[in-house]
Amino acid sequence: MAAASPSVFLLMVNGQVESAQFPEHDDLYCKYCFVYGQDWAPTAGLEEGISQITSKSLDARRALVWNFPIDVTFKSTNPYGWPQIVLSVYGPDVFGNDVVRGYGAVHVPFSPGRHKRTVPMFVPESTSKLQKFTSWFMGRRPEYTDPKVVAQGEGREVTRVRSQGFVTLLFNVVTKDMRKLGYDTGPPDTQGVSGHSPPQGLPT
Amino acid sequence: MITTAASWFEKTSLESQVLLLTWAMAEVHVIGQIMGATGFSESSLFCKWGVHTGAAWKLLSGVREGQTQVDTPQIGDMAYWSHPIDLHFATKGLQGWPRLHLQVWSQDSFGRCQLEGYGFCHVPSSPGTHQLDCPTWRPLGSWREQLARAFVGGGPQLLHGDAIYSGADRYRLHTAAGGTVHLELGLLLRHFDRYGVEC
Repeated sequence: MAAASPSVFLLMVNGQVESAQFPEHDDLYCKYCFVYGQDWAPTAGLEEGISQITSKSLDARRALVWNFPIDVTFKSTNPYGWPQIVLSVYGPDVFGNDVVRGYGAVHVPFSPGRHKRTVPMFVPESTSKLQKFTSWFMGRRPEYTDPKVVAQGEGREVTRVRSQGFVTLLFNVVTKDMRKLGYDTGPPDTQGVSGHSPPQGLPT
Repeated sequence: MITTAASWFEKTSLESQVLLLTWAMAEVHVIGQIMGATGFSESSLFCKWGVHTGAAWKLLSGVREGQTQVDTPQIGDMAYWSHPIDLHFATKGLQGWPRLHLQVWSQDSFGRCQLEGYGFCHVPSSPGTHQLDCPTWRPLGSWREQLARAFVGGGPQLLHGDAIYSGADRYRLHTAAGGTVHLELGLLLRHFDRYGVEC
C-alpha cells in the first residue's frame, strides 16, 4: 500500500498583539489565551501570555502599542472547534486597583497568509445604578471568572455589556495537510486586511 | 435505488451514520462571528440568530441557533457582539444551502425588549473569509400601531419566524428598513471537488 494518507492536519499561527485603541483608559496590559474544541491540541509554542503595561504616546496619535508576540502550533482531526484567541485587557482605575477594561475574542484565520484583525473589546455591565456606583467605588468591577466564556456562544443571552475599545492583531497562518484531507480553505490571502475597522477618528 | 439506500442509512446507528457521512459526503464548516450592527435607532441591541437548511443537510456539530449579549456601545454607533458561530454540516445535495436568519432587538433600561429588525443572508458558497452586511426590516402595522410604538413601544412582530428567510406570503407585509447587521463568516469545504462541484 502507498504511504498512508494523513489523518491529522497542522495549523501554525504566529503574529502579534499589535496595539489597542481605548479612548477613555490608559496604562493597560493584555492577556491572551487560546480556546479550541475537543479535537484540537497544541503541539508547540505558548498558549497563553501576559504583555507589558503600555501608556498612551505623547504625540497626536495617542497610541497604545504592545507589539506582543504570538507563536503557537495546533494539530487536529476536525476543523470544528477552530481555535479562537481570547484577549483580556486590564488597567488601573482612579483608586489604583487593577480592573478589567475589555474582553474580546476572534477566530484564528484559516486561509494561509497574512491577516490583520481588529477585535472590539467589551466589559460586562452592572445591572443597577447602585451596583455601578458601588463597584466603581470599591474597585471591584463585574468580570468573568473564566475569560474563556467570551469564546462561547451559549449562555450569553442574559449578559449586558458595554463595548469601549479595540485591539489590533496581526496573524500569519500556515497549514499542513488540509488539502490532502480534502479541505478547501479558499484563496490564500497575502496582505489581507480584514475585520471591521474602528470608527473614524481613532488611530488605526 | 436512492430511496432504499437512504432508508437503509436512516436505520443504522448514530455512530455508523457519522462515520459513513464523514467518509462519503461533502462537508461544510461555517466558522466566524456575528460582529455587530449599525444604523439602528436604539443603542442597546442584541440579536437572536438561527440557521435553516434544506433536507439534504445534516448538522454534525455546533448549535443551530442562539442569542447574543446585549451591547451598549461607548464609542461610535456600532453595537459589537462578536458572537462566535461554528457549524459543521454534511450534505448530500446543493439545494437548501444554509441560510442565517437574524432578529435584532433592543433592550431599554427597564429590561423591556422591542423588535428592531428581521434579516437573513445565505452562508457564502465559496471557501474563504467573507465580510457580510445583512440589511434588516421591521413590520410597520397600521397607523395606530405605529403611533403606539412611538409613544409606548412594542409594535407588530411576525408570528412565524420562517417568513424571515422564505419568500412565500411576503406580499402581505408592509415593512420599513432597520439597520444593518455585520458578519464575518469563513467557509471551509471538504470533498466538494470529488463530486465535481465548482465553487
